[in-house]
Amino acid sequence: MHHMLHIKNGIVVDPKNGINAEKMDIFVKEGKIVEESEVDVKEAKVIDASNKLVVAGGFDMHAHIAGSKINTGREMRPEEMRTVRLIAGKFRASIGRVLLTSPAIGYEYAKMGYTTAFEAAQPPVGALHTHEELDAIPMIDKAALPVFGNWHFVLKYVAEKEWEKLRAFLAWALERTKGFGVKVVNPGGVEAWMYGGNCKSLDDEVPGFNVTPREIITGLIQETENLGLCHSVHLHCNNLGTPGNYQTTIETMKLASKFSNDKRQVLHVTHVQFNAYAGSSWRDVASGAAEIAKYVNSVDNITIDMGQPIFGHATAMTGDAPFQFTLHKLTGSRWSNKDSEIEGGAGIVPIAYLPKNPVHALQWAIGLELGLLIDSDRVVLSTDYPNGGPFTEYPYVMAMLMSKKMREKELERVSPYVQKATGLAAIDNEKTLYEIIQMTRSLPARVMGMDNKGHLGIGADADIAIYNLDPLSIDTANDFEAVYKAFKTSAYTIKGGEIIAKDGELVKEIWGRTFWVDATSNASIEAIDSDLNEMFEKYYSLQRQNYGVEEAWLRKPERLVMG
Amino acid sequence: MLKLKPKIDFEVSVEAEITPQLATLSSDEISNFQVYYGKEKTKLGDLFEISKEGDDAKLVLDGDFSMVKWVGARMDDGEIVVKGDIGDHLGAYMTGGKIVVEGNALDWVGAEMKGGEIVVEGNARNYVGCAYWGDMTGMSGGKITIRGNVSNYIGEKMGGGEIEIFGNAGDFIGTEMKDGTITIHGSCGFVGGDMKGGVIKVKGSFEVVPGFKKVEDGFEGDVNVGGKGKITQF
Ligand SMILES: [Zn+2]
Repeated sequence: MHHMLHIKNGIVVDPKNGINAEKMDIFVKEGKIVEESEVDVKEAKVIDASNKLVVAGGFDMHAHIAGSKINTGREMRPEEMRTVRLIAGKFRASIGRVLLTSPAIGYEYAKMGYTTAFEAAQPPVGALHTHEELDAIPMIDKAALPVFGNWHFVLKYVAEKEWEKLRAFLAWALERTKGFGVKVVNPGGVEAWMYGGNCKSLDDEVPGFNVTPREIITGLIQETENLGLCHSVHLHCNNLGTPGNYQTTIETMKLASKFSNDKRQVLHVTHVQFNAYAGSSWRDVASGAAEIAKYVNSVDNITIDMGQPIFGHATAMTGDAPFQFTLHKLTGSRWSNKDSEIEGGAGIVPIAYLPKNPVHALQWAIGLELGLLIDSDRVVLSTDYPNGGPFTEYPYVMAMLMSKKMREKELERVSPYVQKATGLAAIDNEKTLYEIIQMTRSLPARVMGMDNKGHLGIGADADIAIYNLDPLSIDTANDFEAVYKAFKTSAYTIKGGEIIAKDGELVKEIWGRTFWVDATSNASIEAIDSDLNEMFEKYYSLQRQNYGVEEAWLRKPERLVMG
Repeated sequence: MLKLKPKIDFEVSVEAEITPQLATLSSDEISNFQVYYGKEKTKLGDLFEISKEGDDAKLVLDGDFSMVKWVGARMDDGEIVVKGDIGDHLGAYMTGGKIVVEGNALDWVGAEMKGGEIVVEGNARNYVGCAYWGDMTGMSGGKITIRGNVSNYIGEKMGGGEIEIFGNAGDFIGTEMKDGTITIHGSCGFVGGDMKGGVIKVKGSFEVVPGFKKVEDGFEGDVNVGGKGKITQF
């Protein structure tokens, strides 16, 4: 079976390679983008992309698509499972309203032209479950980020300033969980929650550990950089979902100021919308997006993603267990609390974002403000699926960022509270198509350190999306409905050189790779050997030898060796 | 009036959201009406013999319909008469009109119904007038009468309307009930757990969960949720 493609006459937007709406041909061989000379043009399948937009496949670098949280969400919300998207036949049954089943996740990404999605919070002790579920998601490439910020080893090594041991522990844990990078959720706060507390500021002490969030974050950035990981620390800040928290967020970002990396950021702050509130209570809550944008734009070592809420149903699910309890108390909605031994916890609460609800409208406006005010090579488009809503509405966010007219229309249907509490209505900026492709392709790939993703240069993975949108003639500011419609379903989605979806219909089921990061050669695991034995003996419910995931258990693993 | 008769003994369930309004359509439209036989999409005319007399909004289902689900779901007017047995979800979400079943019904009779009337001459099974899993409110208006017996979960999360059972019932009657009335002429098991409001009347024997306190004419609770529900014997 050969997979040679000749994508003809398409209008290419490829920000990483500086190509902005140029008519050109793309050639594909054996899953990679190659020079024309490498392809036997007579043999290759020709795809006519005349007057169509040709871009790299979309890259969702932060979504919750596998593991115990989304599965508990599914159990808690049987009402989500009444939407039948596809009856089993050539493809598997695809079900779900916003909380999708595993096949539905792969299929919906594929139909939208997305070819990679990363699970953003893997409880380490639940790594096997997470990978079993990732293995059940067809169509896309995947990875999972284990959470570190409340793991007793991390708290202990940071408190004792045992940097070499911390570095070894990161490498050991990534290998054992087949994880991709260092996720941190409310550092220290989830451990405090074990005693009913939280860490709301950077200097709140974590009970029993003589350590603070400030020290945990700084230590983890330092050792992630020393270990030379392809992705930076990926942080869900302390004090999430609290009026006034934008100051905590900026203060947290400043912790990265003494670090730098030639290739990428040293700190990725995630779903910043939930951490960008000014004011002192829910009565006077306002947007802190402008201040955060100012800071992020002024430095070159921080990236963020939006965490954009979409009006309608969503399910809040994070490793931030104390925040989820607060949300449950605020909304009166169902609540599930998860504990992952000495590693952290999580919570799940259903939510519906209503346009007339002042707080929800405010959150919606703040997400957009962040997307509009921050440079397009620093802010990734995300809904923090399913926390802010469905990833299937990314096209709505794209269209909104590109059209002031659309925003004005939408502002008419939301609570007038946003007019006084945010600056959204006054923002004239309209992102260009080039910038939107940056925010959904090249930037997320750079943030995750995936050189072969997010672009169409020679040697890149042949993950390609073709849309019924002509960049040379489309007026994105006025034709926002056409933009939305075009991005909803691709004309073609090509994954690893194979056509997997066409005109919004699935063509072929394929299985993407699961990337994991092996940094064990950059650290001395022996340094922590006796600590591991002791901690497993004392605190874990399972034995050390039974902990973790072997590569052979994964459907299609790809080991990325750091070195 | 539209009369339907199964052409075959169904091996898997049929999902047919048919309402009396169907009887007002043309014969062609009726025959082409989309239903599911198992997971296959098919036409009403492929599974049922269709005979139409006049345009009045009345459906007569003749034969064994116990494998046919969702009959009368979301109906708002007109009449359905079932000559034999009927399948799950009869009259779910209905807002008006009347359904009479001469045989037995299965699960989810009148689930989340808001208005209209359902009469089952035989027995029904579980979840009469209940909320679907994950929803906050069950039946909120109209009336369901079952002349025979029913099983467990009757009127769960009920927010209004009336359920009357002439036979016996199982456990969990009016769990999380908020308003409305459930009357049971026979006996039943546990009644009223987490009940917030409404009235449950039982003629025979029944069991009260511990969260109810004795009042002059019966029990009030469930105190665990600050409820003011009423359980009486008549
Ligand atoms: Zn997240």
